[in-house]
Amino acid sequence: MHSYIRPHTHIALRLPSGIVKILEIAPNTTINIGKFGSFAANLLLGRPYYLTFELLEKDDERTKTELRVVPASELHAEALGNDHAAPAESRDDPAPTEGGVEFDIVGDDGEVIMRSNRLTIDDPSRQKLSMEEIEELKKAGTGSGKEIIERIMASHMAIEEKTSFSLAKYTLRKSRKYLKRFTVLPLDVGMLTDYLTEREAYKVMELREDTLGLVSSWANIHCSETSRVLTGEDGISQIGGGRWLVVDDTGGLVVAALAEKMGILYPSEEDDDSGSEGKEEEEEPTSATTSAQPGQIATKTPVLPEGTTAPEETSIKPEDLQNGTTEASSNLPPPDPPQDDLPQPTSNQTLSNAPPNPPRPRRPPRPHIPQMSSPTNTLTLLHSNAQPNLAHLKYFSYDSGNPSTSHPLYTHLKTISWLQILHPSEDATYAEPETISEETLATMKSSKRGNYYRKRRRWERTKSVVDETRRGGFDGLIVASVMAPQTVLRALVPLVRGGGKVVVYSANVEPLVELCDLYSKERRAAFVARQFEKPQNGVKIKREVKEEDSEPNTPLFSSYEDGDEDEDFPVNPTLLLAPSLQTARARHWQVLPGRTHPMMTSRGGAEGYLFTATRVLPVEGKVEARGHFRGKKRKTGEGSAVQV
Amino acid sequence: MAPPPSPFFDPGTHAAPNSLSVLQLRRDHLIPAVLSASTESEYAEGKVENTRFGSFPHSTLLHQPWGTQVLASVVDTGSRGQKSKKRKREGDDDGQSTPVHETERARKDLVKAVTASSGFAHLVPPTPETWTLCLPHRTQVVYTPDYSYILQRLRVRPGDHIIEAGAGSGSFTHAAARAVHNGALEEAHPAITTEAANGDEHSMVPKARRKRRGGVYSYEFHAPRAKQLQVEVNEHGLSSTVKVTNRDVYEDGFCLEDEEAPDADAIFLDLPAPWLALKHLTRSPPSPAVMKSVASDPATPEPEPSAHIAQTSSTPKLFRSPLNAKKPVRICTFSPCIEQVTKTVTALRSLGWLEIGMTEILSKRLEVRRERIGLQEEGLRGANPSAATVQEAVQRLRDVEGRAKVFHGLQKEKQEEIARKVEAKKRGGKVSPAEEDQEAVSGKGKVKVESVPPSKHDRLERAKKELDNRELFKEGRLVHRTEPELKTHTSYLVFAVLPREWTKEDEEKANRKWS
Repeated sequence: MHSYIRPHTHIALRLPSGIVKILEIAPNTTINIGKFGSFAANLLLGRPYYLTFELLEKDDERTKTELRVVPASELHAEALGNDHAAPAESRDDPAPTEGGVEFDIVGDDGEVIMRSNRLTIDDPSRQKLSMEEIEELKKAGTGSGKEIIERIMASHMAIEEKTSFSLAKYTLRKSRKYLKRFTVLPLDVGMLTDYLTEREAYKVMELREDTLGLVSSWANIHCSETSRVLTGEDGISQIGGGRWLVVDDTGGLVVAALAEKMGILYPSEEDDDSGSEGKEEEEEPTSATTSAQPGQIATKTPVLPEGTTAPEETSIKPEDLQNGTTEASSNLPPPDPPQDDLPQPTSNQTLSNAPPNPPRPRRPPRPHIPQMSSPTNTLTLLHSNAQPNLAHLKYFSYDSGNPSTSHPLYTHLKTISWLQILHPSEDATYAEPETISEETLATMKSSKRGNYYRKRRRWERTKSVVDETRRGGFDGLIVASVMAPQTVLRALVPLVRGGGKVVVYSANVEPLVELCDLYSKERRAAFVARQFEKPQNGVKIKREVKEEDSEPNTPLFSSYEDGDEDEDFPVNPTLLLAPSLQTARARHWQVLPGRTHPMMTSRGGAEGYLFTATRVLPVEGKVEARGHFRGKKRKTGEGSAVQV
Repeated sequence: MAPPPSPFFDPGTHAAPNSLSVLQLRRDHLIPAVLSASTESEYAEGKVENTRFGSFPHSTLLHQPWGTQVLASVVDTGSRGQKSKKRKREGDDDGQSTPVHETERARKDLVKAVTASSGFAHLVPPTPETWTLCLPHRTQVVYTPDYSYILQRLRVRPGDHIIEAGAGSGSFTHAAARAVHNGALEEAHPAITTEAANGDEHSMVPKARRKRRGGVYSYEFHAPRAKQLQVEVNEHGLSSTVKVTNRDVYEDGFCLEDEEAPDADAIFLDLPAPWLALKHLTRSPPSPAVMKSVASDPATPEPEPSAHIAQTSSTPKLFRSPLNAKKPVRICTFSPCIEQVTKTVTALRSLGWLEIGMTEILSKRLEVRRERIGLQEEGLRGANPSAATVQEAVQRLRDVEGRAKVFHGLQKEKQEEIARKVEAKKRGGKVSPAEEDQEAVSGKGKVKVESVPPSKHDRLERAKKELDNRELFKEGRLVHRTEPELKTHTSYLVFAVLPREWTKEDEEKANRKWS
């Protein structure tokens, strides 16, 4: 992935001003980068990422705007130039030193070490070029803007009086303004996070890239495509298998970051594509294959992915299901149709040669790869509105309203609303639609029949996701929500398997401080003590502990909203081990020869905090910590360890 | 036939024998243990983990669901010497007769573990985070805030290949293994475990045919450390993901015997002089001029390496890049000193790396607690017994004043009484009324004492009595602060990207294709 710029993907252009522009690149279109000009998208397609291009506008020699790749040596010229000649920035620019300028710091051999700013005159009139003249230049200028900068610099009366520091700043300022350059960057999660925090941080809960990294580490997110499907002691509920619960109020940014780490974010065709690309390379590593490849592959892009990925998906699924849960298979339509019929739409695709990425309209009668059906390596997203907000996934070719079946998130991302998880019976989509016999179906209009099947499928999907989620056994819980964290954890922590990780992100520290307090050692001790003192009360609390064991169809969470719970213990504090609170921030530095220091300014705003803990299975009964004098001892064999 | 999956990637539902698990005693106090049911131990209970918080025989840990709270057992740690000798002899005899009996004995041992009256631990599956907290330190450890940011910035994704030079204690190795793991080709060659055992000149397994398998290529200069890491990697079931090589990367670069390895997408250098390794991380042989400029870096007046470079760059006919030719390659160097950073950055610039930037991670952990202040805390532990409010302070002052007044009053009365008595004596006779008076006075005094504000003794007494009914867990003000031990500097992280090579021919091809 990201080996070269593919059509119909989102890319990021960084302009000299530092502004990042995100756009979807399509063949035969024009890309406009504001005052710097515009150029044909085809000039970028098939090229690698991270190159800096210079706009060469059309003139006598060129019939249209062209792009020139700026080599690295040229980009680094300023930083390297003075460095190669001299050990420090001292000998910076020895030529104009003859001009009788006075220097503050002079070496033993009379060499200038550092120019002082004693002679600096703060006066805009020192620039001899007037604004009009510069405008003239800009209009006449055909080149990359370098000429303008050179002219401006040359017309500055006291350029040689500037210290190297201020000269560097001056040059940088002018470059940002006039240089017609831009850099093409791949739009990955890091890039997108930077972009979003820069513009609409409030929409992503002020998440930064460093926090995202920390979240995924503590949540132990990893690819579990090949994990075993194991069931708990009740024989039904799945334990582990690389399934994570997510509460995401960042419009899908957290989901994207997690999915990237699980290898399910980028459309699989890209993977396959680069794989085949690699193979072809390996087979004939003789000639200048590199040059031949991009073109060829680009032609294949629309075709290959469909052919390769779709059968793979179908072939994997039934197999996985056989090893694993018996449950999910009932949700699948008979496993044969997809296998038989799937190649069909793909061959249609090949013929029509439609671009793969824009979401194709879903054809209702088409045999169906069940959405949200993967047994392992999944994210289950809880959403508080009727539909999940996954707007930011559009940058990764996933339209949550109308997902393309070839996208890995189609099967690996499951969504469930709070109503569905807590009170499934109140949710309309959870109720089974009426069954119509085959005969009556045959007599129905095709549109009606399609409707019927769609409803059935939606119900099957909802039911399987809801039931699976309510049975718990998740490997972890990641919360980035504006909701009160204790209410979220109260409902979801019981669904995490023993040893699973719980991570809660909050932009501000206060909600998490409260949360830490609810899981504090003292509160836990009080909770346990209370369980023993008042057995009636204890039963109530125990019920919460045992929620997992209850039958899937009974209202597991009935006690949840009743409000009769002890207000001192909104969550069961014995379920989490080692709750801790942390924060991290990356501080960026400028590294230039002789001018290395932290950046002068950076973004303020919310610091961003993380609550992490491990889900544990507490021993039922009184437990004495060592070091305390023995109290009432209770017999506890291995058998009495709780649940699951 | 396939080895069981690594407990790091797929721990299963229960702690399994011969696989790594972690005993968590306190938040930062974890003990790694490879659980085993074997009876070859000095203890009657089989293998035992002894901790400050009690002894945990493996038999009480094995086959427990992950996350279980395990109670400590009573283990006779004193007389193990004698016992072991005796047991060994027995074991030998038994072993010769029937192995079945041996397992029976093991069963018997399981029963022997008796739950202790106190002490517990939690059995948790290993993760790079828990491992980082409990690994045996060999060098400076790369901690979670750093490695999570590094892996995030390096864009390491499942299926990628990452070079790690300076494996050190292996914390980054484990985190990187988790990041690249994609489970492709699970039927890995069994040969790999034996083959990788002594590093250097061995090749990796035949490469993925369809899906590229993620891999960590770990290089360590220090032979014993490399060996130790290899042992850990095998023990943790990571041998098909992590390839440990004992090598001096400054001299010998990163290429392995296997044609396709390491084919890296990302590089992490935790070396004292990363700039010396950079010359091996190029897409094409660097030009002599560049080599010179890299070698003659400021303040490294070593003619030796440059001479050596000249040799290496000219002699080998077949240049092989250790980098993935198809993708942009990202690098991160991890150096504690700013001088190292300057040199590294200069070398990166000369070698054509882009997007160069330096970052440091400032991370801190916060502790949350309840701060109890107030006069009611007098004599209690973990609280501040000062007055919580001005009102409280005033009240206390009033009380003190009040007591003083009462006592002074009493004193005065006493004195007056004595004076009266004396006078009465002087006058003679009339004793009985005086006595009555005295009695009345004393009675009055007692009444007064009862209405007097409480003494310190009384207050302490009362605070203790009230403690039983108080709910301390929700009293006081909730506060948070940075934990006492603060890591103010770990290392500087230099990041850079090396784009794909792009030649004129490539450009022409792309041009033809897209116009």
